[in-house]
Amino acid sequence: MFDSIDFNKFFHLFVYDRYDPLYFSTSFFLFLFLVLLIFYRMFFKSKNLKIYTLIIFSLFFYYRNSGYFFLLLFFSTFINFYLGNWLYKSKSAAFKRFLFLSAVIIDIGLLVYFKYTNFILQIFNELHAGHFQPLDILLPVGISFYTFKAMSYTIELYIGTMEPTFSLRNFCLYMFFFPNILAGPIDRAAAFLPQLQDDFNVTKEDIGRAVFLILCGLFKKNVIADYIGLNFVDRVFQVPLRFTGVENLLASYAYMMQIYCDFSGYTDMAIGISLLLGFKLMDNFNIPFRASSIAEYWRRWHISLSTWLLDYMFKPLQMKFRRLRIYGSAIAIFITFLAVGIWHGANWTFVVFGLFHSTYLAVSLITQKYRTAFYNKVGLSGTKTLKFFQTLITFHLILITAVIFRADSLQTAYQVFHQIFRFFHGAVFFQWVVGYSKVFYLLLLGYILHFIPKHVDLKIQKWITASPVYVQALLVALMIMLVVQVQSAQLQPVIYFNF
Amino acid sequence: MISEKLKKIILNELNLDNYDIKDETTANQVPGWDSFNHINVILAIEKEYNIHFKGLEILRVKNIGELQKLIDTKLQNS
Repeated sequence: MFDSIDFNKFFHLFVYDRYDPLYFSTSFFLFLFLVLLIFYRMFFKSKNLKIYTLIIFSLFFYYRNSGYFFLLLFFSTFINFYLGNWLYKSKSAAFKRFLFLSAVIIDIGLLVYFKYTNFILQIFNELHAGHFQPLDILLPVGISFYTFKAMSYTIELYIGTMEPTFSLRNFCLYMFFFPNILAGPIDRAAAFLPQLQDDFNVTKEDIGRAVFLILCGLFKKNVIADYIGLNFVDRVFQVPLRFTGVENLLASYAYMMQIYCDFSGYTDMAIGISLLLGFKLMDNFNIPFRASSIAEYWRRWHISLSTWLLDYMFKPLQMKFRRLRIYGSAIAIFITFLAVGIWHGANWTFVVFGLFHSTYLAVSLITQKYRTAFYNKVGLSGTKTLKFFQTLITFHLILITAVIFRADSLQTAYQVFHQIFRFFHGAVFFQWVVGYSKVFYLLLLGYILHFIPKHVDLKIQKWITASPVYVQALLVALMIMLVVQVQSAQLQPVIYFNF
Repeated sequence: MISEKLKKIILNELNLDNYDIKDETTANQVPGWDSFNHINVILAIEKEYNIHFKGLEILRVKNIGELQKLIDTKLQNS
């Protein structure tokens, strides 16, 4: 009877394969997670058993997605745990500083080696400072996220805003935790570790919210983002000059929606999955396109990264330059946003992306006083009209940076803007709506859903919470069916896995 | 307890007429006290009390009660 089972194929499911990763939306993951959840919730009564199960499952998950790079994850975990605790215990301020800087240099050093070596070599080549062959370096998936997670521990111990954990086991779970290891949210040790003292209770409200988030996440990531990305955005950004300006503009609007749905959809699933296991991760998005200023946008977009940089980079820099007052803050903004840009990867497009955002913020900071005075004078302050135009302008300022962010080179970005401003051909819009009707409707739906009032979301969440388990399961099953219908042949990785 | 002097400096710097500031009040609860204005408040405190904060000392402060304590220690040591 067993002759017919191909054991090789079966074992293959558990082995790292670069071309067959294990993401949340794969059927194998859903199956494994269901098995995990059943054992975890129904049979494992002891907290220890739960923690060890999560550690092993998380390690397996990471190994399946990045192979032997899990050794690097171990390294990062041990370094930050031991150096962090050592610096906490150390009495001498100078030695504390030494240990802290050692940890930071190791963390950043690894990040730089894996992410930027070839970029730096290329700069040397272009400056004719030497001739270097690019090295064959594979990017360990999630390294930018888990390095920042690890650093939050060491940094807060150094500043003195958190107490250390002396349990290596608990710290390992914080570092390996599979829901947020590949693409965040970059949770803080100070918020995650205390949860291990509790009993991992899951309330009915948690389950309702989790189901709601998983439904939203699947729809955003696997229906909206993947469809409009593959069928429209990718085509235009590959050769912008082949399309009219109106199509380039639409592709830019579509990309804004794609990257939001891709990343926030993935985050929704991560938060939902964690909730089912009894853990609360931090929010990462809060309706970002409703922002009426760039500063507000960064309080709503990739919140776990922006607050990380705000607390650990911007604030210390701002303190350092405080004698320069507003200009000191402007310098801190430039340095921080250069870091935001470079964090995303080794490409000039990301550097320019950071420069645009820092310029927006610095200009807005320096002109704030005059703008407020002007709005007061013409009686616009606090009006809906002002807010509407501010939101519209903020959105388009971000759109410019999104084009630069998406383009594979600055030249491609330039081509997109060139087409929009020099080759618009507005009439093509109607042909586009007919030719790309599915993209059009999904895009429209995406933007409408984005601007739906929050209380409607909460009502749906309440309704799901109040529904019996089989209705919740049915909803998830229906969503998976929809995803399968829409999904293209190839699995689309989350864009942020590359960062 | 938050001293009247500290309260006055904060309200003055943020252009507020009145706001109930307690020990456990955090900066982001006070209207206008954002990450940009933060530096103005700190500079004003340094100037009025004639003290100098170290970067880490300020980063460690979690609420206005702790800020008051930090100021008091600074004044005692000076």
